[in-house]
Amino acid sequence: MKNSSAAMVIVLTVTTVVVGGILAGFFHLVYPRIEANRIAEEKRAIFAVLQGAEKYDVIEKEITGAKGKKEVVRIFKGLNAAGETVGYAFIAEGPGFQGTIKMMVGLNIDLKKLTAMKVLEQVETPGLGNKISEARFTDQFSGLLIEPRIEYLKNRKPEKPNEIQAVTGATISSKAVVNGLNGRINIILGILVAEAKPKEG
Amino acid sequence: MAPSHRTLAGEITKGLLVENPVARLILGICSSLAVTNTVINGLAMGLAVIFVTVASSALVSMVRKVVPGGVRIATYIVIISGFVTLADLFLRAFFPDISKTLGPYVPLIVVNCIIMARAEVFAAKYPVVPSIADAIGMGAGYTWVLLAIGAVREILGSGTILGYTVLSEKVFTPWTVMVLPPGAFLTLGFLIGLINYVTMRRARKTR
Amino acid sequence: MADTVEDVKEASGAGEKTGIVVSSSPHVLTTENIPRIMYSVVAALIPAIGVSVYLFGLRALLLIAVCITGAVGSEYAVQRLRGKPVKAWDGSAAITGILLALTLPPGFPFFGAFLGSVFAIVIAKQIFGGLGYNIFNPALLGRAFLQATYPVLITTWVEPFASAWGVDAVSAATPLALMKFEGRLSPHMALFFGNVAGSLGETSALAILAGGLYLRYKGYINWKLPLGYLGAVAAFGGIFYLINPARYPDPLFHVLSGGAMLGAWFMVTDMVTSPTTPSGQWIFAVAAGVIAVVIRLFGGLPEGVMYSILLMNAVVPLLNRWTRPKVFGEAAR
Repeated sequence: MKNSSAAMVIVLTVTTVVVGGILAGFFHLVYPRIEANRIAEEKRAIFAVLQGAEKYDVIEKEITGAKGKKEVVRIFKGLNAAGETVGYAFIAEGPGFQGTIKMMVGLNIDLKKLTAMKVLEQVETPGLGNKISEARFTDQFSGLLIEPRIEYLKNRKPEKPNEIQAVTGATISSKAVVNGLNGRINIILGILVAEAKPKEG
Repeated sequence: MAPSHRTLAGEITKGLLVENPVARLILGICSSLAVTNTVINGLAMGLAVIFVTVASSALVSMVRKVVPGGVRIATYIVIISGFVTLADLFLRAFFPDISKTLGPYVPLIVVNCIIMARAEVFAAKYPVVPSIADAIGMGAGYTWVLLAIGAVREILGSGTILGYTVLSEKVFTPWTVMVLPPGAFLTLGFLIGLINYVTMRRARKTR
Repeated sequence: MADTVEDVKEASGAGEKTGIVVSSSPHVLTTENIPRIMYSVVAALIPAIGVSVYLFGLRALLLIAVCITGAVGSEYAVQRLRGKPVKAWDGSAAITGILLALTLPPGFPFFGAFLGSVFAIVIAKQIFGGLGYNIFNPALLGRAFLQATYPVLITTWVEPFASAWGVDAVSAATPLALMKFEGRLSPHMALFFGNVAGSLGETSALAILAGGLYLRYKGYINWKLPLGYLGAVAAFGGIFYLINPARYPDPLFHVLSGGAMLGAWFMVTDMVTSPTTPSGQWIFAVAAGVIAVVIRLFGGLPEGVMYSILLMNAVVPLLNRWTRPKVFGEAAR
């Protein structure tokens, strides 16, 4: 076809509209599946850190974080078959060695101990930092006391109930996990305590 | 305009070695290096690229006489990104785990130079059937290189192949470097060196 | 004919007049001179080797032997394969092996050490064309490869005198790691004599200084390089010490700890991978020193000497171009 402006505009418009239309249709077709995948994954992670939970409610709360940035915090209230609360789960993040470490954390109903921790996403150094995903490291968080704050030790076995041992040679990754948890736990506790008050009063 | 001196089989096989996109034309290097820390990632990436290359080469070849030269690149990009988005959505819906490990590299197929190069160099000039043959060959050439790099990196970097342990940690400490980007560069370098060596020897023999 | 490397470098700078291209040494040297210089460097490393054996036992000696075997053996193999004249015995490969071994922890596995020395010779040196053509210091590139390959093993240190074989010894932290992760400073005297945890040859500043001064006395190394490097480490580290003495270590600690001494006397001064012009040498050494301190204080790793030198190796060709002496009478550009 000749290289006139009209031809160019028509061809490009038609291509864009046709491709856009096909994509919109296909997206509509597969979106339910993508959404179902996301929810199934979230569910798996929540039930993995909250033992006995069979379903969960989502508590959403908007907070103003550092630098005045607004953020919606989601807390998952785990319920057992009888409908009783078994604990709270939430997502915590920390800046790791190379990228963000994303974790699902379970909080005991007394708000004093963690039930479990599971690393959802991380890009730490394989064979070194990525050991934070292994059970040997994450199991330390089950039943861990969060008061006054979680501490990590290097090359030493923990003595106090609020201490964990860092992965050998991967202090930065371990520190990121602990700092990410401590920072998030404070926010979550604030929200949960505020939620609980009106009922008492 | 059709290449009379060439056969369809020739269009397919040239992409495997003689004009291999990664090893000879050094195209699509970014993704070949980034996703090949395991064989399965390389395979998924290779299949996605084959799909996008074949589909977009076919379409570009079909519309080659309608598209004005001034907007051909823009049109190709719209077509390619359309197919890439289809592949991305398909993986997210049906293979969420693979989609997660490949991460941003599936959307980035849009800028994989192999596909653009085949559209511009081949599909824009030849009929549909040879264009598809060319795309299959190029995609397959890309895929086998990815599988080869992935196999070397997975064995040396994790001691496994397709997830099965072949080198026990008791006898072999995995080379972490092979899972990291430098391992990809080293492996690709050695592979290109090997292919050049083989082709040079072949050329010397035929002479 | 020039007598020392330094003279050669200066001569090559002046050679601009005659249209000779500025390039890395060795060039004007006759072949008999390369082994002579190389084996003097080996001799200069003997104090450091001695201290490492004294501190870490016989295993240290074996580790050095493994690295020399790997380096010389692969140099020989590559030269034979490529059909080039075999010069594996000229001492340059042996130095690479020794220097690599001196940067490894005492308990490092022999197989890993062998792999690192093969990498240093084959990838870092021979692929670029052999002695005189390599861009990066081969020993350091071998060390960088091992750092990425065995990140755990290469950061597992032992206390000196812990065990003759260094295998079942208690793991310990290096002075730099103690400083970075726990904010504890090691005493200067221990750092100077080497009674601390660390790589084979980096613990004793005294032994390395002795070897370095011997090489300087023989005229084989250029004083600008070690002085510029250590000076920059001390001065730049000192700035932060003055800003906040409680948080940052003092300049002397910077100079004496980690690989600063070994790097300054034996790696920054590498004839092949350092600039040929005097001002280029100053820029090279000072910039590397600054980078080392930046990595130590603000990077993810406790030690920055290796990467500081490798990074500056990469810009040596540029430095040679920028600092090329002007031909007499040439108009300003």
